[in-house]
Amino acid sequence: MKMNKNYNYAFIDEGSKREIRRTILKAVAIPGYQVPFGSRELPIGRGWGTGGIQITLSLIGPEDVLKVIDQGSDESVNAVNIKKFVGLCTDVKTTVKTGEATIIQTRHRIPETPLRNDQILVLQVPIPEPLRIVEASEEKTKKMHAERDYAPMWLLLYESLIRYGKITIGTEYPLMVEDRYVMNPSPIPKFDNPKLKDSECLYLFGAGREKKIYAIPPHTFAESLAFDDVPFEKESFKGKRCRLCGSEDTYLDELFDSATGERMYQCSDTSYCMEVRGCI
Amino acid sequence: MPSLTKIHSFDEVFDSQRLFRQILTVMANPARKVNIKEFADRLHGDNPGMLAVAMTLLDNEVGFCAVGNADLAEEISFLTFAKREEAETADYIFVTDAAFLGDAVKKAKCGTLRDPHKSATIIVRTEGADAGELSLRGPGIKDTVSLGAPQAVISAIEMRDAQNYEYPQGVDFIFISDSGELFSIPRLVRKEAF
Ligand SMILES: [Zn+2]
Repeated sequence: MKMNKNYNYAFIDEGSKREIRRTILKAVAIPGYQVPFGSRELPIGRGWGTGGIQITLSLIGPEDVLKVIDQGSDESVNAVNIKKFVGLCTDVKTTVKTGEATIIQTRHRIPETPLRNDQILVLQVPIPEPLRIVEASEEKTKKMHAERDYAPMWLLLYESLIRYGKITIGTEYPLMVEDRYVMNPSPIPKFDNPKLKDSECLYLFGAGREKKIYAIPPHTFAESLAFDDVPFEKESFKGKRCRLCGSEDTYLDELFDSATGERMYQCSDTSYCMEVRGCI
Repeated sequence: MPSLTKIHSFDEVFDSQRLFRQILTVMANPARKVNIKEFADRLHGDNPGMLAVAMTLLDNEVGFCAVGNADLAEEISFLTFAKREEAETADYIFVTDAAFLGDAVKKAKCGTLRDPHKSATIIVRTEGADAGELSLRGPGIKDTVSLGAPQAVISAIEMRDAQNYEYPQGVDFIFISDSGELFSIPRLVRKEAF
């Protein structure tokens, strides 16, 4: 795809990029803290992850290689459209191979292939505020973060434990970052939460509608909330394997064959699955 | 001010983008050094590295202070349209002379517990040979890292420690040497006690 010369490089104007860049640096300096910024309108639909795209557009340059995934897939309509859009206004090379990418924009998953220090993972975030489930008011959650008052969050987890015998939060499972901020990892499965702790790569989180950017730098302490006697548990696929590549240690999607009634599993990270099979 | 009329060749789009990524790398990996000489070479004056950083991060939306350096202040406001402010309110404080460092650190805004991002970034020029080793620990660093550092860096960290900020309040440092070496020590990165 050729670059359309009617656009600025990377679409957004340099002033907006500078503001987003300043915000990103603050987010990195204060891990887990949601830094407000003046989100821009983009010519793409709401819910397409404008926060993530704005981060990507502010980072990207001619030397980058971009990978975009949605729910683990490079081929979903969302991922393809974002790749097309960024391609139109930058000419950057794109890839499906995790190891080749310098910037990976994603929604709902962190790739199975461990990321390197020279890679940046940009996560699209619909609701950045982890305390929203216990407090509706932005003013109050802001105050709770300021005072490190996370008692209502702990109470919610405790009540869930008492009532159901386990913590029932499925995705957006909160983490404590550097023993200071409770943060929302975006709607990734709990399976991916441990990848945020002491990682090699930089994680950037962008929420367009709520105008917040936050970060987890490499080698940062980011621990999923849990009780001493009831440790954090991620989804387990014990005894199951990918029907295509045979992996037993990946996050699996469950498929149901209505004709035979058979349940099958396959890797949610489709490019990883293809790499294991030698298809790409 | 003849230096202002010199034409620079720093590209606002592509040099800014590449230099930003270098700055992001050093912020995310404290104490790691990158070299930004190729960008500094595209600007003029006594502090071209600082001008390159200013052109990448500053504009009329932010305020800055170049402590004790009127020429640099003039150049930065000419190139970026950033507002000149006192050290107490500046978003970015440039220190080219270590003699002003203590004052800059004392006056720099550190944000609030509610809005810790409303804090200053202090950009410090370093020169001369390493005066000692700093052992640092914090986010972005695997275990600890040892950094050979000139006196200005050691002093900056000691002065910041003396402020006893309550995290998340604090100030973030970016250091630039005359040879173009750039590294950062953000607020949460602390000196290890030996
Ligand atoms: Zn598979």
